[in-house]
Amino acid sequence: MKVEGEHLFKAPREVVYEMFNDPDALGAAVPGMQKMVKIDESHYEAVLGIRVGPVSANFSGNLTLTDEVPPESVTLIIEGKGGAGFVKGVGYVKFEDLGDQTTLLKYTGEANIGGTLASVGQRMIDSVAKSMFKTVFEKLDKILEERWQKN
Amino acid sequence: MSNKLFPITVTVNGVEYKREVEARLLLSDFLRHDLGLLGTHVGCEHGICGACTILFDGGAVRSCLIFAVQANGHEIRTVESLGTPENLHPLQQSFHEKHALQCGFCTPGFLMTLVPFLEENPHPSDDEIREAIDGNICRCTGYEKIVEAVQDAAAKNSQAK
Amino acid sequence: MTEKYFGKPIKRLEDKFMLTGNVKYVDDIEVPGQLHAAFLRSDYAHARILKIDASEALKRPGVVAVYTADDFGDFWKPGPLQVPPPTAIPGSQFNARTLVPIAKDKIRYSGEVLAVVIAESRYIAEDAFDDIIVDVDPLPAVVDLEKGWENTSVLVHDDLPSNMAALVKQEVGNYEEAKKNADVVISKRMLIEHVAAAAMENRGFIASWDERNQEMTIWAGTQSPLTIRGSVSRALGLAESQIHVITPYIGGGFGPKVMTSLADDVLLPWISKQLKRPIKWIEDRRENFLATTSERDQVHHCEIALKKDGTILGFKDVFYHNTGAYDSYGMTVPLNTQTHTISNYRIPNFYSEIRMVFTNQMVVTPVRGAGRSEGIFAMERMVDFAAKELGISPIELRKKNLLRVDELPLNTGVIGQDFVVNILDSGDYLGNYEKCLEVIDYEKFRKEIQPKARKEGKRVGIGVVAFTEGTAVGPYEGCRITVSTSGKVTMTSGYSTQGQAHQTVFAQIIADQLNVKIEDVRVITGDTNQFAWGAGTFASRGAALVGAATYLAAQKVRAKIFSTASKKLEVPEDELELCEGSVCVKGQPETTIPLGTLAALANPMRGVVEPGVEPGLEATAYYGPPHGSTGCGAMGVIVSIDEETCKPVIERMVMVDDCGTMINPLIVDGQLQGGISMGIGNTLYERLVYDENGQLVTASFMDYLMPLATDMPKKLDIVHNHAESSLKVNPLGIKGVGEAGAIPPGPAIVQALEDAFQDTKLEILESNLSPSQIYEYLKKA
Repeated sequence: MKVEGEHLFKAPREVVYEMFNDPDALGAAVPGMQKMVKIDESHYEAVLGIRVGPVSANFSGNLTLTDEVPPESVTLIIEGKGGAGFVKGVGYVKFEDLGDQTTLLKYTGEANIGGTLASVGQRMIDSVAKSMFKTVFEKLDKILEERWQKN
Repeated sequence: MSNKLFPITVTVNGVEYKREVEARLLLSDFLRHDLGLLGTHVGCEHGICGACTILFDGGAVRSCLIFAVQANGHEIRTVESLGTPENLHPLQQSFHEKHALQCGFCTPGFLMTLVPFLEENPHPSDDEIREAIDGNICRCTGYEKIVEAVQDAAAKNSQAK
Repeated sequence: MTEKYFGKPIKRLEDKFMLTGNVKYVDDIEVPGQLHAAFLRSDYAHARILKIDASEALKRPGVVAVYTADDFGDFWKPGPLQVPPPTAIPGSQFNARTLVPIAKDKIRYSGEVLAVVIAESRYIAEDAFDDIIVDVDPLPAVVDLEKGWENTSVLVHDDLPSNMAALVKQEVGNYEEAKKNADVVISKRMLIEHVAAAAMENRGFIASWDERNQEMTIWAGTQSPLTIRGSVSRALGLAESQIHVITPYIGGGFGPKVMTSLADDVLLPWISKQLKRPIKWIEDRRENFLATTSERDQVHHCEIALKKDGTILGFKDVFYHNTGAYDSYGMTVPLNTQTHTISNYRIPNFYSEIRMVFTNQMVVTPVRGAGRSEGIFAMERMVDFAAKELGISPIELRKKNLLRVDELPLNTGVIGQDFVVNILDSGDYLGNYEKCLEVIDYEKFRKEIQPKARKEGKRVGIGVVAFTEGTAVGPYEGCRITVSTSGKVTMTSGYSTQGQAHQTVFAQIIADQLNVKIEDVRVITGDTNQFAWGAGTFASRGAALVGAATYLAAQKVRAKIFSTASKKLEVPEDELELCEGSVCVKGQPETTIPLGTLAALANPMRGVVEPGVEPGLEATAYYGPPHGSTGCGAMGVIVSIDEETCKPVIERMVMVDDCGTMINPLIVDGQLQGGISMGIGNTLYERLVYDENGQLVTASFMDYLMPLATDMPKKLDIVHNHAESSLKVNPLGIKGVGEAGAIPPGPAIVQALEDAFQDTKLEILESNLSPSQIYEYLKKA
């Protein structure tokens, strides 16, 4: 599965970038996230409940941030597995400073999906991913609003 | 997963059963393995094939999509309520005469779909019959002889009246 | 012999029990004390196993045992080569890598078994999957056949130099020479899609070890109980007499249930013996998609060489065949493809090359149609392309090249799945085709219906194709017929039944031969304690082989009846005749002796019998043909299609079929109609899709679309056109019919679709078409 998209954050690039390094913010933004723990500067462990059509299951996995070029770009490597299969993905995230206290986030990525999730849920997975991204960005917008605009 | 048991009372083919079941027990498994009513068959467990169709308060539903606890207080009919080998239900008789079954696995589901259909629509067209059984999969017959059997049953029913 | 039953549309004897829910399928059998097995299956298609830790699972209440490959110790070994390749094809190469019961070290397909959980209920057994830690190192998967064949590909089996499972070249005449004389040579690459058998009942297996009697009883939804018995005997080192395999009622077979899959039929008996408890496993639908064998999936590179006048000079086909991760079932499917490609037309020069490829997918074994569909599709398509190129109608081109009645029997020179050279033994191929044109009223469609529809802006097309169905192959089948002292007759056979009406059709033969009421004949199939010889139910061979054996055994019993009666009545045999249920003296209808009485006389409890006299009114007979018999026919379809939705509708279908003598035309029509629905499904709906990582992404009926009642033709006619020669192919003149219906719908529908768009350059190069694929094709056209 390939993913691609962008989102405009109403905050300066540094603030947005910082938020992406904050497990509390990410953990709160991802729907179904049950636990997200920072292991070190670039590794996180997470437990995530996913529901795709008839398949719903918990996935436990790792999130690794690599090739970090603060505050311009970062590569995310996600590996998760659980009773309903596995997900393995790479995401390339770029933060463009648009100059007016706004930041354009652009992402591309690719995910391999296996097990029940693939054999039964494949049909729905693209739309589930899309709606998940939408929710994540909406929540991050709110978090930013609270953090940035309060300051 | 909690193993808590829930008491249920279900009327199946006119007999009242009181049992204690786990919340996750499928109605299809309950009918087959708890009550021993083996005529209801399980073909896909995701509500597409229709082999497990039963009558739930008179309406055709898939018993693999319902939990046994949801049947509490309801009335169910399975294929065992139609006819016996010695005295077939008229629709069963038509299935026999028109060779509308081969392996027989999907057949109870077809019968339980068609019984309420024929009650509502005693003189269906071929197209209406095909629409009615479009939620039941048969891999053996190609459906032709099932349609013939339903027409046969409908014709005999109107003659009898 | 008066034929009261044979050839008549006798209603089935088994129906009334099936209709009322009074028969037992495997899951209906409850053995006291039984435990339930569930298989933890691999999420990965290709990976090295680093660790499987099931220790936590054992702590779960209700879990009795968990086994991984290591727990089976020396018992773990690859299974038998169930169907070896024929040795008679010179230069053919075959790498046997047989199915393993449970993955060890390496996972080779998504769905391969990693652990067996035994628990008090199936629910608990599946719960325990969450407790098992599986640590693997994923590998790239081999999915694409042509790329997988290349030497640069990742290897499914590390010990082989490539993914070549087999390479078989068969040539008749000299294609390359013939091509030099051709006016037109056309080359195409075509895809044949991957489809599932999808019987409505999934597989099921119960193994019950009796420690006191040292006997294993097995209930299995198998097409071949004797194969299971042999497999368990070999694996556990038991005498076959210690193993009793019973096939209860089976909810459809269609091919894959002939396979031994080892996880159930080898591991579960072993576990039952270890735990001294009956073990039951019932497959669920997702497992059926992932881990029950499936078929088709070929890529053909075809070439046809013709003269300007349409005479076919030669045909060449190099095709890739997906065997999946293992090849225990040998080359049955691609060999069937080879024999069927050349089975219809006069093709003096023929070259066919099988490139059988290992992939990271479930094993491919025969599914109704079994290689025949693929061969017929490839040839019929190429004839269509040739017709377009030559500007000849596809009908005329076929009529010109179809084999004529006086050209049969024809030795094609191509060795088939039965290891012998394929003989096209009988039939009127051209006659079938002309009959089909007549019934579908081809002329009227061309002159009136199609032009009128076109004027109204509607797209409608016609396709008429020819096909053959190789059936009734050996090696042999047999049966035993016994008359009881009650006068009831029992027939037992090693065959097994999945809905083919064996209880009725074999009873028809016996009831006529012995002149008894059909209700007094009991047919028992699929019980190894009743009859223990035979190969199993496959290749459309039951009616022909078991039917012939039944006839031969009935003849022997009949002779015994007359000799016993002759002695008792002291009347010469030629003065006796069979009256219903008894023997009577010709001209003296009052002098009769019931068959039951004769059965008692034939089994004296005291006194002496003459040397050479066998007791009882009982006889066993076997029948094995020297080669298979070829069913044949033609199919015409009229398809309309809405250009906006690209949804095809089959307005009319005519199938002309020659299956020789029919024991029961009602059953024959049922077989043909069922096959047709499968052929339509294969063409317009069903498709097993593996992604580039080897993940099957269509593992439910939500994604794998089965043909429904509304998908069948609006009008379907079946025409029986049995040639004289077809009625002589074996003792009863029976050819198989079980797969015929599934074979021609593909090429017929595709031809009709192209015809509906004959003003465009629409050219369809695959066997499975969803509306979105048709849309893509039309964009290109």
